[in-house]
Amino acid sequence: MLMQLTLGGLSQGMIYALIALSLTVVYRSTTVVNFGHGDFVMAGAFLSYVLVVLAGVAFLPAAALAMIAMFVLGVMFNRGLIRPIRGGPHIGLALMCIAAGYLLRGIARMVWGREVLPMPPVFDMAPIFVGDLVITGDAVFIIGTVLVLLLLFFGLMALTDLGKMVQAVYQSPRGARLIGLNVDRFNDFSWGVGAALGALGGILVAPVSLLHPDLGASFLIKGFAAMTLGGFGSLGGAVLGGVLLGIAEQYAGAYLDTALIEITAYVVIVAVLFIRPQGLFGRKAVVKV
Amino acid sequence: MSQIMPSARQRKTRTLLFWAVPAVLLLLPLTTNPYTQFIANGMLVSVLVTLGFTLTIGNLGQLAFANTAFFGIGAYSSAILAAKLGVPWLLTIPLAGAFGALGGFLASAAALRGIRTYYLAIITLAFGELMRWAYLHAKPLTGGTDGMPMPRETLLGISLTDDTLKFYIFLAVTVLLVKATLNLMRSHFGRAVMAVRENEIATASLAIPTARVILVTFMWSGFVVGCAGALFARHVGHVFPESFGMLHLIASFAMVLVGGLGSVLGAVLGAVLLTALPEYLRAFPGMEELFFGLIVAGVLVAMPMGLASLLRRVSPIFVERFYREAP
Repeated sequence: MLMQLTLGGLSQGMIYALIALSLTVVYRSTTVVNFGHGDFVMAGAFLSYVLVVLAGVAFLPAAALAMIAMFVLGVMFNRGLIRPIRGGPHIGLALMCIAAGYLLRGIARMVWGREVLPMPPVFDMAPIFVGDLVITGDAVFIIGTVLVLLLLFFGLMALTDLGKMVQAVYQSPRGARLIGLNVDRFNDFSWGVGAALGALGGILVAPVSLLHPDLGASFLIKGFAAMTLGGFGSLGGAVLGGVLLGIAEQYAGAYLDTALIEITAYVVIVAVLFIRPQGLFGRKAVVKV
Repeated sequence: MSQIMPSARQRKTRTLLFWAVPAVLLLLPLTTNPYTQFIANGMLVSVLVTLGFTLTIGNLGQLAFANTAFFGIGAYSSAILAAKLGVPWLLTIPLAGAFGALGGFLASAAALRGIRTYYLAIITLAFGELMRWAYLHAKPLTGGTDGMPMPRETLLGISLTDDTLKFYIFLAVTVLLVKATLNLMRSHFGRAVMAVRENEIATASLAIPTARVILVTFMWSGFVVGCAGALFARHVGHVFPESFGMLHLIASFAMVLVGGLGSVLGAVLGAVLLTALPEYLRAFPGMEELFFGLIVAGVLVAMPMGLASLLRRVSPIFVERFYREAP
């Protein structure tokens, strides 16, 4: 029972980790918190649905295409809407992200109305039985994909100059410019990567859940909960926070009440900000005045 | 500040104008049909919602998402008090305001721990989602997805389903709360609110307890929006959880931005302009999201301080204290 819950939580938590990571990537390199990110996740899920069900593309190429499309969309969003108000205060930037999210949601609803769409299962693998534990194909697929991606991501960050560039831009965009980094292009790239990673979260979740245009809102909260738990702005913290949140949800649902699955994230946000605002690995989040 | 402040005579004209508007509006029910009257009532509710919202994001400068939650708390507490405890609706208005203020306290209590900007925004976002969850799951109290009907009631022998009667009550509450908010923003406290927006550390160095200022602003915002919730419950006659969802949030953001962040005049203008339009879009799924999304994005790029900033250029009469040129 405990093992089964942990596995379920792990596979759900991997999705949250991905969403929190993609939020953090954008935040670290542009200091913008994308309050419309949930809808980027939703857009990824819908794009993969369109490609798989309506256009008949196989799942893997469809996922790749959807991610590329979302990368382009992220870059376009940064260039067209974020850059013109770049110098303004954080409220304007956050509102712009919200507006973009609603635009995506509006488009999704215009096309699909109020329907709920089921996606055909992608991995028709027979479940593996290990003792009492049932390991489904979906769980293997989700955990495997995210693990590979995380290895790739953190490998690139640690072994190439990319990690140092992220740090440089995070600490001082002007300083980064002085040493010859093209900060504008770097921001474009970060928005693209953030949007594509978020979309992948949606793509992975699509086959195991029902799709509807409002699905982004809850993923946004879960991404924030994971980020807050791990420490706002910490890349590794976001991943760990996501996994812990996924597992906590399953435990709360099984041992306390199933209705609690939905609000575990809110409770985590409130509890962390009151007890340890900097999260597990973050820097200080508190204003001392 | 490049703008000329209004002269003594212009200030007098402004006071006159302020009272002339509701005076003229008293005659409005003579010219409307039932549908336009219903829309006019909705506008008054939106004015209060936008007013409460612009206080936290415009005047205080803290990104807050909890506004829709205060609205829902107000509407549900009015409905519950009226339907379950038999409290007369008129009396539930200040009570709903008090519950809204309590919501404001809970949503911003983290400010006392030094939580600001993004963190505060996330906490208020979580608070809003938590309330939506509560409407759906506290079935014995809220009726779950079926919502709650408002009980039949009469006032002075007229049924409270009468839109003209509602209009006069709504107008009185709106004028009262707008005036109270204007006065509050002119007071020592109001200056402190805007000082926190400009520079919190400098404000704190003047011995102003900034966390408490944030908390009280949220509570007043919650009070205003809570009262609006009570009006709304009577306005539509049935409280549903969907009324306090994501669509209401973006609509409120759009109203605040179109009017002008942190401007009372702007809150009124934005609410009046944007209440009627979406009525026509409701038939087409997704159009409301697109409409409000485009408005928010467009205003941010083209006119970041909204209509109030245009009016300021027309005449100093429209200049409000401590307004900002840019968001």
